[in-house]
Amino acid sequence: MERGNYILRKVTFAVVTLIAVLIFNFVLFRILPGDPVKLIIHSPRMTREAQDRIRSTFGLDKPIWFDADQLRQGDVVGAFDSQFTAYIRNLFQGELGISFVSRRDVADILSERVWRTVVLVFTGDLIAIVLGMALGLIAAWRRGTRLDAGILLWALFSWALPTFFLGIILLVLARGHLPVGGMVTPGLKPEDGLTYWLDVGKHLILPTITMAIVYTGEYILIMRSGVMEVLTQDYILTAKAKGLSTYRTLRDHALKNAMLPMVTMIALTFGYTVGGAIQVETVFSWPGLGRLMYEAVQKRDYPVLQGSFLLLAVSVILANLLAEILYSVLDPRVKPD
Amino acid sequence: MRKTWFHALLLVAVAGALLLAACGPTAEPTSAPAPTEAPAATQAVEPTEAPAPTQAGEPTEAAPAEAEEPVTLRVGTTYIWDTANPTFGWYNYALRYLLYDTLVEETKLATLEPGLAESWEVSEDGLVWTFKIREGMTFNDGTPLTAEEVAWSLNWTIENEPETFGFYLANFDEVVALDPTTLQVTLSDPVGNMEYLLIYVWILPQSVWEGMTYDDIMEFEDLSAGLGSGPYKLVDWVEGEYLILEANEDYFRDKPAIDRVVYQEYATEDTMVQALLAGEVDAIDTVPSTAIETLRGEENVELAIMPSTTIDELIINSHENGTQPASLNDPAVRLAIAHAIDKQQIINVAYLGYADPATVVVPTSLGDWHNSDVVDIPFNVEEGNTILEDAGYVDSDDDGIREDPDGNPLEYRLYAEDTASNARILEIISDGLAQIGIAAPPTVMDEDSLIALYPDFDFDLIYWGWGLDPDPDFAMLIFGCDEREEGGWNDSGYCDQEFDEMYVQQGITVDHEARRELIWKMQEKLFEDRPYIMLTYPKTIQAYRSDRFTGFPVEAGDILWKWAFLQGRPVE
Repeated sequence: MERGNYILRKVTFAVVTLIAVLIFNFVLFRILPGDPVKLIIHSPRMTREAQDRIRSTFGLDKPIWFDADQLRQGDVVGAFDSQFTAYIRNLFQGELGISFVSRRDVADILSERVWRTVVLVFTGDLIAIVLGMALGLIAAWRRGTRLDAGILLWALFSWALPTFFLGIILLVLARGHLPVGGMVTPGLKPEDGLTYWLDVGKHLILPTITMAIVYTGEYILIMRSGVMEVLTQDYILTAKAKGLSTYRTLRDHALKNAMLPMVTMIALTFGYTVGGAIQVETVFSWPGLGRLMYEAVQKRDYPVLQGSFLLLAVSVILANLLAEILYSVLDPRVKPD
Repeated sequence: MRKTWFHALLLVAVAGALLLAACGPTAEPTSAPAPTEAPAATQAVEPTEAPAPTQAGEPTEAAPAEAEEPVTLRVGTTYIWDTANPTFGWYNYALRYLLYDTLVEETKLATLEPGLAESWEVSEDGLVWTFKIREGMTFNDGTPLTAEEVAWSLNWTIENEPETFGFYLANFDEVVALDPTTLQVTLSDPVGNMEYLLIYVWILPQSVWEGMTYDDIMEFEDLSAGLGSGPYKLVDWVEGEYLILEANEDYFRDKPAIDRVVYQEYATEDTMVQALLAGEVDAIDTVPSTAIETLRGEENVELAIMPSTTIDELIINSHENGTQPASLNDPAVRLAIAHAIDKQQIINVAYLGYADPATVVVPTSLGDWHNSDVVDIPFNVEEGNTILEDAGYVDSDDDGIREDPDGNPLEYRLYAEDTASNARILEIISDGLAQIGIAAPPTVMDEDSLIALYPDFDFDLIYWGWGLDPDPDFAMLIFGCDEREEGGWNDSGYCDQEFDEMYVQQGITVDHEARRELIWKMQEKLFEDRPYIMLTYPKTIQAYRSDRFTGFPVEAGDILWKWAFLQGRPVE
């Protein structure tokens, strides 16, 4: 019951945040300087009529919030036929608008890209988490030794390493041995089965190594400090006094408690990496969400940006929510006040 | 049992460490300077399809490849295109010319040749054009392409006004096919650059486009939108990844020597350069200036340095209601500014030498449309100072900045879009102006903010550039009074009655020589009034693997242009 209340409160909070994000997301792209139609129209000689036609296709002929003149005349419905109401209405219908550039549904574009990013992020993160946890545990367990110092140094180094820099270095080093960009050799299709996936795997090596190296540092540090803190607790002393082996002490007492901050970290990382892979995807030309956003910024494709931001916000909010719920399950101290 | 869990964790850690170690040896051979080339070169000579990921990969791909090795050109680009639909797709125009044909073709910069039309003639009054259409042509799906299909396509274009090329036919009244080889076009007014307009108007097949409403056309994204009669057929396209073309056996000219073209998309130019060095692609469509030195030293890579229709200029706000200081409207001040800009330094610093100093708005690449009589204002700070001194601009308070007779200092706002090379160019301009007693601190800003200044003409000096048409019409249009309205293209605010009259006149002058004279006069007028101080004509720089391909004509201004594909061929 208590937990039910706690979860309900957290969900409510997440929904409120989401609504705020929705509105902010709309405002953000309307306060930017410049006429979006100018961005859609590239032609020097397009007639004014053709420009107007485009304006109406994208709904840019409507007022942003409401039409004050129509409101004064009492035409409430007409007055609120605005870009904002259209945006909200479309959102509820699952429509995220039409790309300025390709004129395709933003929802379609995003769904094509999102699984490609997930493949990359999931692989990279998984390696980083496993590696980070293991190394962090070893470092804490052997704290003060050369091994610990070495792992710590590596963690700080990899954490401080700029993603794009590491990416480019790896790319230059592996040039000629591994593909420098893209996700698959042109022409191969998922229908080709194993061939396709092996080829994707080959293209995955460099970006995942980059991601793994960059993210491992963070996990090592958090794991190490978590375990070390637990190891100083009285109950560890008690466990040792009971005559438990180091293995059992670590496994049954230290790890369990040290996992709490890790859960938060992992959840947040997954939330953020949907967009956080921008640098890796850009360096290795991985056709995922990150590169989509990078290109949308370059081409000022506002609807695509708006949609990506929304997806990003939703994934971060959901990851947060998940972490909080997991926390309440894992840690009995987290209780509704 | 329970211990295994912990052991497994350690095991994974060890495995991870091994994985990291494994990437070491992979990298080592390349890090030594000498062997770098060897693997790259072999990779390049090998067949395209089979970078053979695994044994398993071979059966599917290698089978057709072994039968007869198609000559495949792999092109690296930073962006393939936004849509297969040619009616609104603006990116990678060059690629679309591989798919569609036009009545008249641009073979190299500012050089026209017959396309689908073998020949043409125009009536005395310039209103009736008769085209002789080639015989025996087909679209890529085998359906015939005669004057009737061309007429249908042009009429469809007039009716639906596709964004990308509809406006070129603004003066077309009637298009009819008199017989399968004769097409007659009747105009409402004579058109001075008729042939130039036609190089933009693709002939599309009725089978694909018939019966679509405006909305249908806007939403059409099927690959069949790529169906045309050009030298290549669109086979496959995966957004954000690659595009595959195959040579059209029935092309009305000889089938190209390059059987297959694969465009591969790279997110950054730097990665693309690496792909070229590794031999993963055979040609790249842009070379970042930072990579020029690297590529120049590569044995198997050839840089293609070509003329372009791009111009770079310093815009001087010339609008009578603009917010520029009055002194900026003084011809003497404008002339002094022209004397204070070191174009050669801009070329050396920002373009690494790959640009020519500019004189007039129409660049040299446009052939005889470029007014070669105009002699440039030389970089001469002393002369600039003398001009200002004589015109009454004196530094009366000794702060290094001159004042006009009313005591207002010569302080101007100097803007540009925020790119690395623009920042350097602004520094050079600003330094030059400081030497003649004009304060113009450089400010870079994002493109949208810059464009937002135009409607109110709220600026003094802007460093900007244009990519022009091969016909001079557009270069002159951007100085028209009408173009100052919202949605127009006049960014200097320049407005001159005499100039506008000449613009209208050149638009209806069909005789080349007469039109050329007008265009020259207009350039001279702009040179004297100086709404723009022309800075450079930058070059286009591309690169290709000279160990795999040869024959690309650099005069085309683009080695990824239709005529380059028709002439390019594999080495050996």
